[in-house]
Amino acid sequence: MANARKDMAETASSRSHVYGLLAAIFRAEPSAAFLAQMKSSEFSNVLKSLDISLGDDFQDTPCDQLAEGLAVEFTRLFIGPGPHISPHESMNIEFENPMEATLWGPQTVKVKKFIEAAGLEYGDSFDGMPDHVSAELEFMQRLATKEAEAWEEPNEEFATNILKIEERFLDEHLSRWISRFCDKVIATSEGPFYREFAEVTKGFLEYEGESLQAFNASAGNGKGDSG
Amino acid sequence: MKSLNRRNFMSLSAASGAVLAAGAVDSRPALAGSVTFAKGGKDFSPITGKERTAIPTACWQCVTRDAMIGFVEDGRLVKLEGHPDSIRTNGVICAKGQAGVNQVYFPDRILYPLRRVGKRGEHKWKRVSWDEALDEIAGRLKPLLDAGTPEKFMYQYGRNKASQAKVSYDFLHAFGTKTIGNHTSICEGGKWTSQELMWGGHYDNWDFDKTDFVLIFGSNLLNTHTNHIPVSQKLIEAHVGRKVPVYAFDVRLTNTAAHADEWIPINVGKDGLVALAMVNVIMNEGLYRKDLFKFMKVTADRKASVDDKIAAVKERVAKFTPEFAEKESMVPADKIRDLARGFAKAKSGVVVSYRGTIAHQNGADQERAMMLLAAVTGNVNSPGGRCQGVGAGWKAPSSKVGQKTGGKLRGLDVNDGFPGQVAYPTHHVSNQVLKMIKDGSNGRPDVYMWSCYNPVYVNGEVNENREIMKDESLMPFLVSVNIVYDESSSLADIILPDVTYLERWDWEDMVSPVQVAEHYFRQPLIKPLGESRDIADMWVGLAKRLGIELAWKDKKDFVRQSCEMTPGVKEAGGFEYMKKHGIWHDKNARPDYLAFETKIPASALQADGVIFDEASGVYWNWHKSKAKNEAEAKSVGYQNTPSSYKGYVGQEVDGEVYRGFKPDKVNKSGFLEFYSELMKAKGMPVFPTYTPIPEHAVMAKDELHLTTYKVAVHTHSRTSHCKWLSEIYHDNPGWMNPKTAAERGLKDGDEIRVHNKLGEITTNVHVTEGIIPGVIAISYHVGREHSGRYGSGNRSPIPGVADDPDFKNKWWDKHGVHPNTIIASSPDQISGQQRWMDSVVRVEKA
Repeated sequence: MANARKDMAETASSRSHVYGLLAAIFRAEPSAAFLAQMKSSEFSNVLKSLDISLGDDFQDTPCDQLAEGLAVEFTRLFIGPGPHISPHESMNIEFENPMEATLWGPQTVKVKKFIEAAGLEYGDSFDGMPDHVSAELEFMQRLATKEAEAWEEPNEEFATNILKIEERFLDEHLSRWISRFCDKVIATSEGPFYREFAEVTKGFLEYEGESLQAFNASAGNGKGDSG
Repeated sequence: MKSLNRRNFMSLSAASGAVLAAGAVDSRPALAGSVTFAKGGKDFSPITGKERTAIPTACWQCVTRDAMIGFVEDGRLVKLEGHPDSIRTNGVICAKGQAGVNQVYFPDRILYPLRRVGKRGEHKWKRVSWDEALDEIAGRLKPLLDAGTPEKFMYQYGRNKASQAKVSYDFLHAFGTKTIGNHTSICEGGKWTSQELMWGGHYDNWDFDKTDFVLIFGSNLLNTHTNHIPVSQKLIEAHVGRKVPVYAFDVRLTNTAAHADEWIPINVGKDGLVALAMVNVIMNEGLYRKDLFKFMKVTADRKASVDDKIAAVKERVAKFTPEFAEKESMVPADKIRDLARGFAKAKSGVVVSYRGTIAHQNGADQERAMMLLAAVTGNVNSPGGRCQGVGAGWKAPSSKVGQKTGGKLRGLDVNDGFPGQVAYPTHHVSNQVLKMIKDGSNGRPDVYMWSCYNPVYVNGEVNENREIMKDESLMPFLVSVNIVYDESSSLADIILPDVTYLERWDWEDMVSPVQVAEHYFRQPLIKPLGESRDIADMWVGLAKRLGIELAWKDKKDFVRQSCEMTPGVKEAGGFEYMKKHGIWHDKNARPDYLAFETKIPASALQADGVIFDEASGVYWNWHKSKAKNEAEAKSVGYQNTPSSYKGYVGQEVDGEVYRGFKPDKVNKSGFLEFYSELMKAKGMPVFPTYTPIPEHAVMAKDELHLTTYKVAVHTHSRTSHCKWLSEIYHDNPGWMNPKTAAERGLKDGDEIRVHNKLGEITTNVHVTEGIIPGVIAISYHVGREHSGRYGSGNRSPIPGVADDPDFKNKWWDKHGVHPNTIIASSPDQISGQQRWMDSVVRVEKA
């Protein structure tokens, strides 16, 4: 039982790292320091093992220069002016009534409500909207971190409850729009950076959906189900 | 990109973790705080998805008065939740609290001043303006001031506490009357008086967070306690979380008894005897703890040694053997022994007692027996023990007293029972007020006003109450300040529309279960409906007409000034802070356990006016008493000088002076008094004892005890118009044991007549093993003559709010019966507590 909990804690912690990285990528233009970390051999090897290439010149271009180019790409893709991809759930999710697809609309409120019901609030320095992709990814990061702590404590009942909440947030929010959003990024990107990370995001969330379903199914079969 | 599997996922994660750990990512996260799944604080419209306005406030459905958050959408109150920051409630409120929304919008609510135009009770009303109503009332009050008889204005209140009480007292004292009645004797006055005779101030709390053993007598605290949500949560946490044993003594299988380790059925009025028998076991088997004896007074000699005291207690309880107690109470002697041993040997324990114990003749003495059980085991004001309640202390503005009466206050002696009827009516004898007005020997009020109170319905002998209030020769002018047309306001001459508690300002102070005071706050969630007005603002209107100057402009100003002058709240930001947060407590405060052991510094004993009383061993300041001079104070002595307790400084014990158990309301010493000179002086039992209840001693074989009780979803009389609550509970069949039912040929559901010399009620019988033989138990709350359509089925004859669309969903047509009709208004001779549990009835098939 203790080993199972340790595994769960490790998995939750690992998931939180990936969410954290993806949240950072979509939150803002990458800094030179961030890009320098991505050039590390460990990170490069992982990308290679996943058949991901950030471009032939990624390693050789100085970080400052890379940052400058990616800032332009980030602005073009997600900010505008002009046609851009809105990185918000309310503008990507499919509604039966297309009139509901409004920025800061009811769907945004649902996300805000979900996140705040977990005891979190939007930080003063966050100037995005509550259903921004990075806020949703960060929320999953925070949940997974809390889940890892709960397994380690150990507070199995709390941990399995958080798992259920994670699955619910994926079902009700992230997985309902992330794929469509990533497809738009993949189709619109001019360089490999955002295209490839959109692929990683899409692939990771598909993997997440399956994993969480499996965890919760096993929890429901008597492994610490809290009802 | 390759699809992810466990292996490459873990690699991706490790690499991501390394990037994040390097701290190079954007340092501005979107989210702040930590994942806590916090309770409350936000709500959203299910229709529009819009966030609702959340306003901190406080409940008032019952005296527990939990801090809350109200949610308002487009100016309409839509929902109430517990305040998540409350150390008293942990963010929880009960069903009654949530149904507070109904108080605002029920269809029969009184929204305009009304003037009676027919005979009393004829239900004919005319809507008048506030000015007309106040002019008429002032026209009745002015002659009283002119004649120097302000006492002929009597005000009586039901649920008034904290600023709501303070503000009314302030006006009334400025006016010059102290004919101010309350309702405490029908609630828990007996418990308070009893505690004042023993440990000083009233209100006990139980340190469930630390306790190791719980004994409950006559209290359904999981459902209905006066500090319900705070204490019920703590009890549940102790019992479920820490497996603390809980034993509940009760006539009825209450919800509390059902969740205890064991329900111990007990005969009516025998709780004190069983407690004394447990003390007997503990003393005889040497299981007592010596620590507290030093501070206990158990003999006439205040200097008695601890060993002498132990011997004295042993002797006092010697006759209350478990076998004797079994014979009277039906609790098996072995059970008494087991529980006495378990309780005494536990590291700590609490003795809980409530109305089932105290609402009897000599109920206050039964409460003394409970305290004795706690004391001999060292469980008084100690971690895990029975502790003196801690509530918030507020400062408030005050107006000049007796502005038209030369600074004097005058009162009619109608609040404390008939001469010689009650020994220590420290919380008045409200159950005798109408009888005393009828009698007239002590005078009668020319103007009788009441608020948040229903004198006809809430006291015993309902039929007599109705007749007294109908009689204009006994009560010439009646003013009701109310939100609902009920059994009493229907007899008034003028009805003034009160606001609900969700439309007004207050500061609040109820006892905290964690022994740390919580200051909290009530503010209007919405604009008052119709022309309803806070009673404080009504006082302002009367003051203007009578030329009385008040130290506050209106209720909001009263509360604002209080916030700005109350230590702690003031520093936190005063009124504006409370408006925003609704709640404040000192984060550094800790429970003040064993405070009675604190030594008094010599300088305090040398202060001006402090003298020593050899008889009691009390140091006291005679300036604060009613003694004329030091010589008189010394010759009359501490016990016999009026209000000497107000000057109490400390108690001498074994040559040292300690804080001891500071007196309140009565001139007791600083000992935890079980041997009571005060009781002796009034011819009452000097030491806790067992006195059979007179009516029970002469019961005929076919007679039954009538006991009453409350349920979780109603207050005594103020919630039957709340549709969500009356949908849950609207009928009250009489509970009866199968044996008792069989003796009368009754089957479950049969219609029955319950009667005695006071009258008769008809209900159905609920046959259940969940009650002892020989008893019928009928709840309060229902059986309303009025109270609107949800409460009584009767529409009120007044203009109210628009019809409630939910009314078509009202599926119940039963509205219960009212047991008070056949219960005598009769006070305990010690405290004045209404004897709810002493009635005797006969029951037959109807």
